Amino acid sequence: MNAIWAIASSTVGEAIRRKVLLVILLIALLLLSIIPALGVLSARSEMSAMISTIFFVIRFTSALIAIILTIYMIPNEIERRTIYTILCKPVQRWQFLLGKYFGAVLALALMMGIMTALSLVMFWFLKHPDASKMAEVAKQPILYLVEMSLLAAIAIFFSTFVAPLVNFFISTGLWLVGTVLNPLYDSFATNPQTAPIMKTMAKLITSILPNFANYDVKNPILHPGVVIQNEASYYLKTVGYGFMYIAILLILGIVVFDRREV
Amino acid sequence: MAAAIETKKLTKTYRSRQLGKINVVNELDLHVEEGEIFGFLGPNGAGKTTTIKMLLGIIYPTHGEGYVLGREIGDMDVHRVISYLPERPYYYEHMTGFELLKFYDSLFGNHDPDKCQRLLERVNLAGDASKTINQYSKGMQQRVGLAQSLLNDPKLLFLDEPTGGLDPIAHREIRDLILSFRDEGRTVFISSHELSEVELICDRVAIIHKGEIARQGRLTELLKGGRIEITLQGIDEGLARKLATGGTLHNLSDGYMLDMPEEEDVNAVVDTVRSAKGSIVSMVPRKKRLEDLFVETVRAATPGAAPKLAAEGGV
Repeated sequence: MNAIWAIASSTVGEAIRRKVLLVILLIALLLLSIIPALGVLSARSEMSAMISTIFFVIRFTSALIAIILTIYMIPNEIERRTIYTILCKPVQRWQFLLGKYFGAVLALALMMGIMTALSLVMFWFLKHPDASKMAEVAKQPILYLVEMSLLAAIAIFFSTFVAPLVNFFISTGLWLVGTVLNPLYDSFATNPQTAPIMKTMAKLITSILPNFANYDVKNPILHPGVVIQNEASYYLKTVGYGFMYIAILLILGIVVFDRREV
Repeated sequence: MAAAIETKKLTKTYRSRQLGKINVVNELDLHVEEGEIFGFLGPNGAGKTTTIKMLLGIIYPTHGEGYVLGREIGDMDVHRVISYLPERPYYYEHMTGFELLKFYDSLFGNHDPDKCQRLLERVNLAGDASKTINQYSKGMQQRVGLAQSLLNDPKLLFLDEPTGGLDPIAHREIRDLILSFRDEGRTVFISSHELSEVELICDRVAIIHKGEIARQGRLTELLKGGRIEITLQGIDEGLARKLATGGTLHNLSDGYMLDMPEEEDVNAVVDTVRSAKGSIVSMVPRKKRLEDLFVETVRAATPGAAPKLAAEGGV
């Protein structure tokens, strides 16, 4: 556990100093800070326009950070030979991989925390919402963190055997497809003209691919007509699904990395 | 004496689409005794780093056996008593020298800041402990690397090109540190191209070429067989040729130069020249150097290499 924690904390230290990540974070904070000015351009209510834009900026930039942060992690360690000075110590490969992953998630949590904090402060000062509305807005980034942890697990899994550039396209592609899985499946399942085989295929594909759409909850402020029957159960299931998927990806990553020649 | 490293037919094979199967390390039999400084030499691509990685359990042998400190390679317990300094390593640049040592120390489950400080003092970096690694020169990075390799008080150190790319002062500092490791009873396994350094500090060496051990043994034994150059004047060519039966004769503008093995009877040559009223201008013993041995070994193991080198103007 000591080794995993040591590797994780060094990964956080390195991540928060990576200029490219800091630039993305800075742009995100800049965008978040000008969101109030964009409200007037929207036909929707100012509050819902503000919240949906905040969510979009946090989600999009967090995904970018998650991918860029993780695709280079393992290849860089090998290329710079740092991994040798670590693996020749009493550190198993699975500990190294988990340390890197948890470090990435901690760094992500830190960066997303900064974005969320700024958003909440702005929301509070500009809209003076009541506590329930604040809680509604604060809940979403927590689900996004689980979503980004899943995305980081995908990227770190592929980083054990593919080059960073290829990994970038795979991870980005999977995330983009994963964010439209629910509507994609619905369009197949509800269309009477869809052949049964296509419906089965759609079901299979949507079951295998990571479903990121679940993490974009229909916020009652944005979608007053959508009611989640049992919110606690929905959140638990969504978080549980993410953790299960992450665990599977990490186990597969460990198996691949364990046999890899570094 | 017990073996610190022992390999039996250790082999690493890679498969390539273009070249098929390549034995990067081929049936390597290596024997390193405890408490010695062992030089592992070879040209680029000979299989040195691959061998070290196999011994460290970082990559897996295709077949053969290997033992480090009496345990099979890959045994995690051995990792508590060995250490490795890779060639031109990168350390986390955001860390200070002190933080770096603390980080590596924590990988052993330890938290001993005093020890980290002592090790920085030992490698003359105590004054730079609070500087970040990206502020360190190459020599300082190599020294902090040596400090991290001492954190677990290792019995066996693997050093891959420990003096590569360093200035003469840094060279000397690293060399003195390595010699002090032997004085402390540690075994040091050095892979290096710096043959003059190796010659100064190693007890035994192995020369690897194309994945196979071309020569292995004690340096004093391997470097036996130096030569003596005797410059002669005032003798006729017939006598000079007679004297050169055990060596090589070179014509000079005002005499001859006789190049003969050191084990030849030099006194007999001196006596013969003097009785012929000739004179001996100089007598220069030429000790066999590790570089000579290395070149000789690699050429012998590479059919056709010598003529090609000569044609290119090489030695």
